Amino acid sequence: MIIPEFEYVSPQSVQEACALLVQYGDSARVLAGGSDLLVKMKDGLMKPAYLVSLKNLDSLKAIRYETGTGVIIGARATHNEVMNNRLLQEKYRSVCEAAHSMAADQIRNIGTVGGNLVNAVPSADLPPILIALDARARIVGSSGERTIALEDFFLGPGKTVLEKGEILAAIIIPDQPTTGSNYIKFGLRRAGALAVAGVASSVTVSDGTCRDVRVVLGAVAPTPMRARQAENVLRGKKISRELIDETGRIAAAESKPISDIRGSIEYRRNLVNVLTRRSLKAAIEKGHI
Amino acid sequence: MSEATTKEFSVIGKSVPKIDARDKVTGRAKYTGDLKVTGMLIGKILRSPHAHARILSIDTSKAEQLPGVEAVITAKDVPATFYGISPARYDETILAIEKVLQVGDKVAAVAAVDEETAVKALGLIDVEYEVLPAVLDPLRAMDEDQPQIHPQYERNISVEIHQDFGDVEMAFQQSHLVRTDRFQGNRATHVPMEPHAAISKWENGKLTIWSSTQSPHYFQYHIARVFGLKMGDVRVIKPTVGGGFGGKLEPSAAEYVSAALAMKTGRPVKIVFDRKEVFFHNRGRHAQHIELTTGVTKEGKILGVHGKYIIDGGSYTSLGIASAYYAGAMLPLIYEFDHFKFDCFRVHTNLPSCAAQRGHGAPQPRFAFESQLDMIAKELGMDPIEIRKVNARRPNTMTLNDLKVNSCEFMACLEKAREISGWVGKKGKLPPGQGIGIGCGGFITGAGYPIYRTRLPHAAAIVKVSEQGDIATLYIGAVDIGQGSDTILAQMAAEAIGINYEDMRIVSADTETTPHDFGAYASRQTLMSGHAVKQAGEEVRRQIIELAAELLEASVADLDIDRRVIFVKGSPEKMLPFETVANEFFIRKGPLMGKGSYTPPKLGGKFKGAAVGTSPAYSFAAQISQVEVDEETGQVMVTNVWDVHDCGTVINPNLLHAQVEGALFMGMGEAMYEQVVFDDKGRPLNANLGEYRVPTALDVPQVISELVDSYEPAGPWGVKEVGEGATLPTMGSYANAIYDAIGVRLYDLPLTPEKVWRAIHERKKPS
Repeated sequence: MIIPEFEYVSPQSVQEACALLVQYGDSARVLAGGSDLLVKMKDGLMKPAYLVSLKNLDSLKAIRYETGTGVIIGARATHNEVMNNRLLQEKYRSVCEAAHSMAADQIRNIGTVGGNLVNAVPSADLPPILIALDARARIVGSSGERTIALEDFFLGPGKTVLEKGEILAAIIIPDQPTTGSNYIKFGLRRAGALAVAGVASSVTVSDGTCRDVRVVLGAVAPTPMRARQAENVLRGKKISRELIDETGRIAAAESKPISDIRGSIEYRRNLVNVLTRRSLKAAIEKGHI
Repeated sequence: MSEATTKEFSVIGKSVPKIDARDKVTGRAKYTGDLKVTGMLIGKILRSPHAHARILSIDTSKAEQLPGVEAVITAKDVPATFYGISPARYDETILAIEKVLQVGDKVAAVAAVDEETAVKALGLIDVEYEVLPAVLDPLRAMDEDQPQIHPQYERNISVEIHQDFGDVEMAFQQSHLVRTDRFQGNRATHVPMEPHAAISKWENGKLTIWSSTQSPHYFQYHIARVFGLKMGDVRVIKPTVGGGFGGKLEPSAAEYVSAALAMKTGRPVKIVFDRKEVFFHNRGRHAQHIELTTGVTKEGKILGVHGKYIIDGGSYTSLGIASAYYAGAMLPLIYEFDHFKFDCFRVHTNLPSCAAQRGHGAPQPRFAFESQLDMIAKELGMDPIEIRKVNARRPNTMTLNDLKVNSCEFMACLEKAREISGWVGKKGKLPPGQGIGIGCGGFITGAGYPIYRTRLPHAAAIVKVSEQGDIATLYIGAVDIGQGSDTILAQMAAEAIGINYEDMRIVSADTETTPHDFGAYASRQTLMSGHAVKQAGEEVRRQIIELAAELLEASVADLDIDRRVIFVKGSPEKMLPFETVANEFFIRKGPLMGKGSYTPPKLGGKFKGAAVGTSPAYSFAAQISQVEVDEETGQVMVTNVWDVHDCGTVINPNLLHAQVEGALFMGMGEAMYEQVVFDDKGRPLNANLGEYRVPTALDVPQVISELVDSYEPAGPWGVKEVGEGATLPTMGSYANAIYDAIGVRLYDLPLTPEKVWRAIHERKKPS
């Protein structure tokens, strides 16, 4: 496999990177881990003339807590860095588990959180759990910085809200009253398999009542999607098995899967139903976020 | 038990480390892709984007002008000789002549100074195609309205087989129960870690090829024939090989095209397939559509079997004619019955060619048979192991298709598998969603006849002792492709000579420096190459003892050698070190050498296709699997597998159990995960390791691999095969375990979660 020719640039600052992206426009792509991009280039699916590497931008790598803001995950953090990060393990273990469900060690060692999000692959494993935890995307551009709900980040397969010259800098998980969260991936192999369907959920439970809930589906719509109607079934209600079953059924109904070589529409809807139930049950019972 | 099994061996029977283990784990071992030859160019092949098309024109002028390009070739620049595996079905050429027959078919090739330039040059070749309708459904391939792929094969029939033994209709009439069921196999493929690779050098009229091959001999034969060279002017060298599984048993475009480019440029040319090209070349498992009818008495005794098959051969015949015959020939092996009819159509489609893969043609029919046997047992109210015991083959019997079975401990395999798996406490007694199932198998230990007609022995060996007597080198054409033949043959040589394993060196699989051997396929080397090695080693031993007798003034009959010490039996103080005698031998008589060769006895019956399935010896195995099924998602977790093998005397227990595990995991992949799928234009949708999923270390069950006492009189020291037999039972044992768990029968491989879920769903529907 041969990678097509390209110009490689490695800016020293985020501002310089943004400026280069403005200058090169559509002929440039951002290179972080390369686990998606380089493969696509070798397959001839993408032929960027410029690769703007983020490798010198250490400010984009840290995972830290900022009072008043929350946990900040630098976009360049690798999946294994997320998986093994103590802060995340203590505060949002489900995110570490989702990172662990991906690919294999070799890819988790180079693939980045930012890459996983910006590629906007419908089956990506991190978006569902991050959206379930109400994560925000911090986007930096040549004219400044903006922060949006990650839920609003994705427009379609391979499409995000990033404008020309913008870089996804970090993901922020705000402090929250959530009592439990969970991500279940259904792949056709225990490692190195894309999700046929994935469901993440987060719940805020007190006195047996579901004060708040988020259910986010992966691989069953053009983008990761909130199952809002399903959430409404449970939100504010006393938790019962029947209600959780109903939530699963509604989530399946509102999902928008396609048939492909990994699974049919009917099978994916079934998985959404089953995984939603299981994910909610785990989020309610496990007692960690 | 024979006496031989009770003898204490010095070297064989021990789990010595693999002879190349250190080189492999340190990265020192060199595979073909690692090699560099001075002046070497890189070759690349332009492949067809269409499943079926006429080539109208090829314009190579732009590619030729690209700096760094040394040659661009099309069919007109290479021999138009058709090749394949049997002369009646030579139907493939180095590059496509008029038509391309599959996506990925070979259209043109370039040699350039580096890979980048070669790839760029491919993009500059203009090919004009007339796209033709393609045959993509094997079940429709014989229909009148389908295009004909090869001019010589009407209705796209590649191979048609009708074998009829006994009177199957009468058997069915006499049966208490006759069942007909349809099963469908999958297009699985080998997925060797190392892709196909070759470097060709053309110098002074001699072609030297370093190749990732399972058989330097067959490669030498075919390549010499296609290029019109003497076999002596073709040298095939096998470097370290990273797996073959049947996919490297015939030369691929890596060899043919690199050779053509080397001849054209006068410079060495290397071609290494990328993973997609490995899928295009394929030669993997045929997807078999099997209708199986079996009649039994009320005691479960099988009276007759009728198998009707349509199997998808893909674009070229390749080794597929043998696969088609094996699909029937292996069915009567492990159970005894007298009436059998086998009808098979191997059809061409415009998909990659199918050929030999571990278990060659036999695993999918075995899946069908083992599944149906369980269905029959259920109808009769019999335990699945009991019905197998009622029919199990016994030693020293002849199958209805004239296969002569010597050793056979199948009954012992069944009993031991039942015992170690805890079958009695589990069958029908596990909690809902859990189940246990059995599947069995058996396989040849080397084919009774070579792939092309020749009177050459099947294996040969030379052992040469060094002048100082410190080491001995085994020269052998047997091919280590990762399975460990170099190791076990070195153990055998050391045992036969009377020296230590550590004293052995090995030079293997180079048509110029090592004697002829047919190579690594059909599970043949331990028995066949082993025979040649034993004979060669014993010849050295005899010469050493003769000289030692003279030096010790003792009689030959009184001397023995063990681990480098030559001594008088009963008076061990009268001894000489091996090196002293070997050194003295060289001084007095010159090189101390031994040689051996092996030809199997004449085997098999007289009917058409009788040669397929013949073998000096057969292995037998019973495999029991335990599964947990998630009924909501259809996901199946195989938690445990117990495999009990009858494989004769064991030369290296660790390597043997590794073969069982490897075969089982490969069978597991085919059973549950693997299938090459295509779009409606014949383009593969999963020609990569992300979407063509082989099981990972996390997916495989705990495996208990056990043996039964067995001694095969046709094998050196009583050995027989293990490497392929353990692939055969797995699919059936999984399907039967799933049935036990959830009461749902699956007929189509692979047994994916979605299929399991659908089957459960269907069952739950009110009828």
